[in-house]
Amino acid sequence: MRVIRDLFRDYRFTFSFIVLLLILTMAVLSFFSPYDPTMWFVVPRDMKPSAEYLLGTDSNGQDIFWQATFAVRNSLIISLIAASVSRVIAVLVGMVAGYARGNPDRILMFISDGLLVIPLFLILVMLAMIIRKNMNLVVLGLMLSAFGWAWDARVIRSVILSLRERDFTKTAILSGTGTVELVLKEYMPYTTPLIFSTLINNISWAIGLEMTLALLGLVDVNIPTLGTILNWAITYQAMFLGRWNWVLTPVVLAVFMFIALYWLSVSISEYLDPRTRIQRVGV
Amino acid sequence: MTNEKISTLRTDHLHSYYVLEMYGKQKVVKAVNDVDLKIYENEIYGIAGESGCGKTTLLKALFNDIMPPQRLISGKIYYRVNGGKEIDATTLKPEEKRKLRLEFISNIPQGSMSVLNPVLKIKETYMDFIASHVRGPERGEIFERARKQILEFGLPQNILDVYPHQLSGGMRQRVTIALSALLKPRIMIGDEPTTALDVVVQRGVIQMMKEIQKNLKNTIVIVTHDMGVQANIADRIGIMYAGKIVEEATTGQIFSQPQHPYTQFLINSLPKFGDKHLRSSVPGSPPSLVDLPDGCPFHPRCPKVMEICRQQMPDFSHPAENQKVACWLYGGEKHANAA
Repeated sequence: MRVIRDLFRDYRFTFSFIVLLLILTMAVLSFFSPYDPTMWFVVPRDMKPSAEYLLGTDSNGQDIFWQATFAVRNSLIISLIAASVSRVIAVLVGMVAGYARGNPDRILMFISDGLLVIPLFLILVMLAMIIRKNMNLVVLGLMLSAFGWAWDARVIRSVILSLRERDFTKTAILSGTGTVELVLKEYMPYTTPLIFSTLINNISWAIGLEMTLALLGLVDVNIPTLGTILNWAITYQAMFLGRWNWVLTPVVLAVFMFIALYWLSVSISEYLDPRTRIQRVGV
Repeated sequence: MTNEKISTLRTDHLHSYYVLEMYGKQKVVKAVNDVDLKIYENEIYGIAGESGCGKTTLLKALFNDIMPPQRLISGKIYYRVNGGKEIDATTLKPEEKRKLRLEFISNIPQGSMSVLNPVLKIKETYMDFIASHVRGPERGEIFERARKQILEFGLPQNILDVYPHQLSGGMRQRVTIALSALLKPRIMIGDEPTTALDVVVQRGVIQMMKEIQKNLKNTIVIVTHDMGVQANIADRIGIMYAGKIVEEATTGQIFSQPQHPYTQFLINSLPKFGDKHLRSSVPGSPPSLVDLPDGCPFHPRCPKVMEICRQQMPDFSHPAENQKVACWLYGGEKHANAA
């Protein structure tokens, strides 16, 4: 309980916690939706927001609010798959490369540097075109995770490289600590804030990239995600027709999600590091 | 002290060099060059010498932690574990080496900011180190012992629940010493454990190390160039110069009748009460360990240099009991015959 009380002393944590709680509630609400998200013309088209249709309806004859609940859920699924799978790769690659040094480091960093220098967006567009038939949430998540680990692996590697040279590593080794224990028990606590913040950055990155691909129509546009809603809205010229309730719904949701995730990562990272905890969070 | 004569740590013609590739040229830094040490049980052995004479390199070799670019060129390091037979430490497997650390031989690090993991509480560091040596319920017992030990050393009990950055330098140093004595090792090796502390704290730290030594009846090897600390703590002192031990004697002998010219300079440079003369230092500067002079490495700076000093390294002679010195001034003929 003390941990939670201490965390809430930071306004950024409070804000992002509330926003993310609302967004999660939306995602959960999708299970109680009165409409099937893939069906069209279930409600009257192009209605203004009202008591019956909270955010109005769109030109496909779907309720925007309920559509948004599905969009939030699906976007979160994609980004969580992408972020967690890529985190596992990044941590493994970063720690092995950083601790082993020498040839393993060279090989692993050659691969990750290769991924860093290729123009990621073009490759993703091409890949999405090729596997379009089999594209679903999981495939898209895995595709993003295959490209999302390289930068973070490099960051983790550099931290481990620096930790290896610190005196406390020497203290631990000269006290008979084994390699695996050293990495897991001594380095892991040090890198946890970093891994956590890269995880959250990666979630935002995956949401953004999914929106980009969806906007270009490279994913299954019948599955509602934040990107596909935007795609339909732009296809129907919603901006010129002044249907702001339609365009702004995914945009505002995404912006709030980004801000909340960022503040959450900053705030928790500062809390996890005992040296910044006192300065910033005041505990 | 020394009449028991059981050596726990012995080196035999130890040569440990740094082999460096620089711009395609191979450079060999002869940091430990033919060192014969015999350190007995139940004593505090001090190693003194100027910066860059190979003290730390010697310690790494004694600790059996030789990592490239440092290499063991030749010679042996013997440990006597549990009073049994001597074992050759250089042939141990990594797992055996790991087991010995902290249980038989432990390191007293210099208590700078980063010797303890900054994101772990002191307690967690203790737990981790215990866990890597002891299995099962015994862990709890040892931790309880550590808790008591901390109180005995006059540190507050809640020190276990804080992070390293919340401790002062002296406390951190004392915690690291307590940590290194945790599993009652037979040998404790300290690389300048009192450096960067003020004299009052230094005294506390020295007292604590002496206390540990008295309780455990083990061996402490301590390196420092602070002769005041050496005088306070060491039973015997080895003076190191350019990768060699040039003189070894009991502390009293080193301070009252230094034999080697280098030791004489070292002792004469110390301030004394009532003596207002200007202290003279050793002329010249220490030799490069890459390019050592022929013969005795001290001869370019030695005021009593003889012809033979330029050609041959002297062997040890024993001008007094428990004292050995490598200088041609003492028993020169004997050396010549031996060589």
